Amino acid sequence: MDPTQAPGVYEGVANVIAAVMLLIEFGLLRQALARDQIRLYMAQSALISVLAIVIAADRNLPDLYALAALSAALKVVAVPLVMRRLLARTEPEEGEEAPGVAGSQTLSPASAVLAGIVLAAVGFFCFGALKIHGPAAPALALALAAAMVLVAFGLMIVRRDVASQAIGFFTLENAISLAALVVASGLPLILETAFLFDLLVAVVVFGMLIRTHHVRAESLSTADLTRLRG
Amino acid sequence: MSAALPVPVIQLLQVLTIALGAPGVTGVIARVEARLQGRRGPRVLQPYYDLAKLFRKEALAPDGSSWFFLAAPLIAVTAYLTIPLLIPVLTSYGLPLGYMGDILGGGFLLSLASFVIATAALETGSPYAQLGSSRAKTFSAITEPVVLFVVFTVALLTGTDLPYALAATVRSSAGQIIRPAHLLAATALFMVILHETGRIPVETHTGTSEFGMIEEARSFEHSGPYLALLKWGSELKQLILFTILADVFLAPWGLASSQRLGAVILAIAALLAKACAVGCVVAVIDNSFAKLRLFKITEYVSAAFLIAVLGVFTLYLGGG
Repeated sequence: MDPTQAPGVYEGVANVIAAVMLLIEFGLLRQALARDQIRLYMAQSALISVLAIVIAADRNLPDLYALAALSAALKVVAVPLVMRRLLARTEPEEGEEAPGVAGSQTLSPASAVLAGIVLAAVGFFCFGALKIHGPAAPALALALAAAMVLVAFGLMIVRRDVASQAIGFFTLENAISLAALVVASGLPLILETAFLFDLLVAVVVFGMLIRTHHVRAESLSTADLTRLRG
Repeated sequence: MSAALPVPVIQLLQVLTIALGAPGVTGVIARVEARLQGRRGPRVLQPYYDLAKLFRKEALAPDGSSWFFLAAPLIAVTAYLTIPLLIPVLTSYGLPLGYMGDILGGGFLLSLASFVIATAALETGSPYAQLGSSRAKTFSAITEPVVLFVVFTVALLTGTDLPYALAATVRSSAGQIIRPAHLLAATALFMVILHETGRIPVETHTGTSEFGMIEEARSFEHSGPYLALLKWGSELKQLILFTILADVFLAPWGLASSQRLGAVILAIAALLAKACAVGCVVAVIDNSFAKLRLFKITEYVSAAFLIAVLGVFTLYLGGG
């Protein structure tokens, strides 16, 4: 496709939303507070609902409106609420050290962003090499989703605390939802919903993980886990 | 039906609009900023009075500085006044001299001006002026890749890197405005402009604290008309960057499409209004964020770099 030709307005909007979601993923890399990470996750999840509405309007798929509402209820309201309550429970007692996620970066923010750019580039060029074309599969949004998956993995790798790793995992799910929406938007609603509720399982598992880890290590940091214990 | 202007007159008007409008735009921004901080603020025309006062004063040069110290402000202002010939300031069609340089040509002129000022500052031997030029050169080296990637995006979008071509492309359809590559490139350029005009992330452009000084510190040793030229130069640079952002990237509307006098006058008013609007946004941003530590500047620039690189990436697959 000739880059000097602009795609249509709907596709442009879809691509912009996907690009902003990727930028939010990078924002998570830089963000030092768990509270702000949850806020960014909410913004990203809200964007995916907006994208569902755009695609619903563009391709005339009314059941995507229902999916958008369901996804918003779950990811913008429920999951952040659960995460906040979990983190509130790990608040320190008077005089103890705060088990925050600040200082859990293993790379400086600028280096983390550069590493993220490399990861995103790998995602982009791999998808470019696949040569997926067609009206139903906008190559760009798909490649952005692939880049998001890789950057989310990067986030889970460079942060040494369970809270950021959980958020990284949830955004991974957002990336896969993005890919699903742009490629298979005509999927039956029941299947989409089933995939959405997979997220709840992940939330429960990560919730257990965060609580168990906090009880055993009295911090959210995974740095303590490298040492073997008898 | 008003009279048609000859093309050379329009070309001259482009330069004059920038040259005479720049202090006014600075005055408007200073006024808006003062209002945001709850002060009454200086008159909008204050920058003109400042320049007039400085032009009447005596010029002194430090001991041991050569002719270059005094020539540098002249070279810088000449470079700044050449750029309006290359970019769409008033017209949507290219003027004869508009094709003698592309976006990179304009970038070279901006760098040349910055380079001669930095060299003149080094010549004085004054520690603050040297600190300013050293910082300015260091940080311009890390913002340069961002600008390059923005230029790459423009080149991929239009098949050329003439500013007139991009403005025409943006005007051509709504699809060209909404595409991610264009939005990402415009955002990255805006972030660079915030940095270059001394707003965000560390510099205080009003410049009384030496710790936060980058570009302002370079003119410490100049005085009289030469200082006036340097001040005018930084105002010119600001308006030129705002013009590139508004007339090439964000809103290339309101430009004259013919040579009629009425259309050109309307274009002058539209340009100044757009520059003031960009200036208001800049002032709001400047006042809503805390200044960072000097070495946090890499984080800010890495964010701009990320956005610019993503712009090129999205074009790689063709759909961006």
